[in-house]
Amino acid sequence: MKKKVLAILMTAVMVLGMTSIASAARRDEAAEAAAPAGGNSNKVRVDPYAGDEVKIAYIAHDIGTPNNQGWKEGIERECASWSNIKVDSYGAEESAEKQVQIMTDCINQGYNAIILQCSDGTALAPSVKQAEEAGIPVITVNLDCSSSTIHSALVMAVDYDAGRMAAEKMAEQLGEEGQIAIIQGVPGLARTDNLEQGFRDTIANYSGIEIVDAQSASFQKDAAMTVMNSFLQSYPDLKGVFAINDAMAEGAALAAESANKKGEICIWGADGEKDALAMIESGDMAGTIYTNSWDEGSTAAKIALLMIGSEYDYTCLTQTPKVIMEPIVVTAENVDTIAEEDRW
Amino acid sequence: MKNINWGKYSKPIILVVFIILLSILRPKAFLSLNNFSNVLWSVSVIGIMVSGTIFVFLIGGIDLSIATLCAFSAVVVVEVTHYLGDTPKAVAIGVAAALAVGLLAGLLHGIIITTFHIPAFLVTFATQSIFLGLAMVFTNNKIVSCTVPAFTAIGSRKILGFPMPVYFMIVIAVISWFVLRKTVFGRYVYAVGGNETAAAISGINTRRSAIMCYMISGLTTALGGIVLASMTQQASSSTGAGYTNDVITAGVIGGVSLLGGEGTVTGAIFGAVLMGLLNNGLNLLSVPSTHAGLVKGLVIIVAVAFDAMQHADQSRKKVKKVKKAQA
Repeated sequence: MKKKVLAILMTAVMVLGMTSIASAARRDEAAEAAAPAGGNSNKVRVDPYAGDEVKIAYIAHDIGTPNNQGWKEGIERECASWSNIKVDSYGAEESAEKQVQIMTDCINQGYNAIILQCSDGTALAPSVKQAEEAGIPVITVNLDCSSSTIHSALVMAVDYDAGRMAAEKMAEQLGEEGQIAIIQGVPGLARTDNLEQGFRDTIANYSGIEIVDAQSASFQKDAAMTVMNSFLQSYPDLKGVFAINDAMAEGAALAAESANKKGEICIWGADGEKDALAMIESGDMAGTIYTNSWDEGSTAAKIALLMIGSEYDYTCLTQTPKVIMEPIVVTAENVDTIAEEDRW
Repeated sequence: MKNINWGKYSKPIILVVFIILLSILRPKAFLSLNNFSNVLWSVSVIGIMVSGTIFVFLIGGIDLSIATLCAFSAVVVVEVTHYLGDTPKAVAIGVAAALAVGLLAGLLHGIIITTFHIPAFLVTFATQSIFLGLAMVFTNNKIVSCTVPAFTAIGSRKILGFPMPVYFMIVIAVISWFVLRKTVFGRYVYAVGGNETAAAISGINTRRSAIMCYMISGLTTALGGIVLASMTQQASSSTGAGYTNDVITAGVIGGVSLLGGEGTVTGAIFGAVLMGLLNNGLNLLSVPSTHAGLVKGLVIIVAVAFDAMQHADQSRKKVKKVKKAQA
């Protein structure tokens, strides 16, 4: 009995293996037939706007965050009008290894394009290269893969300059003096490291403002509440806090409110998510740097479709082309200019 | 004087040493009622959870689904509250629904583990991703915020300078201590964890005891989720991320054996408070996050080693005593 089952299983495996080889061979034939002049021979040009079947993979670092959801919805909205364009979203549960695995799966499944938020630029670089070599354009979002790996495009929010803008506006609000502190995320991510650097470099120009402390709250709202409590404890004269993302700024604002210091401390975040904008309206937070995540996702999707439908690919490039999203400094004065339908 | 059993007091001694040390290093910031309230507040969710999860540890089980069950119950309380119109009554029903979810989850764990004799590690590992999936589906994978005053009061209202979650932790810990120390069921739990076969032979319904333990764990985890959602005024699939580790660590630091049969609620709460003090101390001393992990690990090893040494001393004394008696 066991032998029989084993035999059936073996046969099934062999048949599956054969068909996959056959389909890979077919794909190669198709690729050869459609080989464009000059470009990479593996890339198959299809026309998404003429009804050709197209599927795009979106691979997030952690699909649950508002930012990632914003991008996902932006991508889906962009493609919604064409029934032949399919978008699949994957979350890597904050693990670079998982993301590499998902990349491999997506390459094997023959997606036409991959939109990727790199968990770790260095770890993902080989996968990105592999995808591009297989003729799958990769568009990275916000987090680039290591700079030497040329790929189709990078769509990003400003980082260093966002830190600079937050610092300038915050300095103005504080009257250019006082003690401030920073709530950090997880060190080692290019975007947030640059954001913090931009903030620090700019604050250094104001002799009256002193950065007294910087602690990590791992991007988490509840952890930021604990960090903020200890800041309030250690620095009774604290005038301002800059959190690297909005979730942590919201946590800091809740802690300040619970210590009866609502509105007394100038709390800044970055990203511009819906809840943070509401907190700026209610006076709990002083400001944030807003980026339209929906727009960012839809921009990535547009580039993906452009790459799928065109002949050119990464071999034509000497560096990864960039699209940088417009940053908007949001404070209580202009928060009402961000329309409800632009709040993600 | 000679007969003072120092081993028994090793945990309070560690805490006192810690408090004295931090008081010397940062007297102004550390030594205030406000700061103690902050420390207790920061560990209250872990304390609530570990007071229930300890039952599972004591019967030699484990629960890896703490973080995601916490997220799912947080999502349930917020979504139900919204669905019923954000009234105080809706909050009450939401809380009840989330607690029911916790109990059901525990019941499910208990039944699967005892019926099919699958290791708890595997079952809760699987349910962990089921709860995460449910939390994602219910929220459409978004953050749902809830600022209904009746709801946010659970996590932020202060009584005598201490926020509500601290009182929750104390009440739950006392109930848990009472059940484990003063009831028959409590003895059954230790008996089952110590030697399941012996417990079964002596007439204990080990299966029912195990199911009860998982239900208690589910209940406190759900309560932790409700409190956490209320503190942060929102719920999402990532609410409570990392709490599985924190709860297990608190238990183990507090001397709870993951093999079962050994450990106390006071010990587990000690573990949680020690972790809270450590984080608080590192923050107040402005230790940069790059060094914080390093320092934390070292201090935990020193503290646990000191505690374990006292206990080893105790058993060595016992052996000596018995040998003397024999001679």
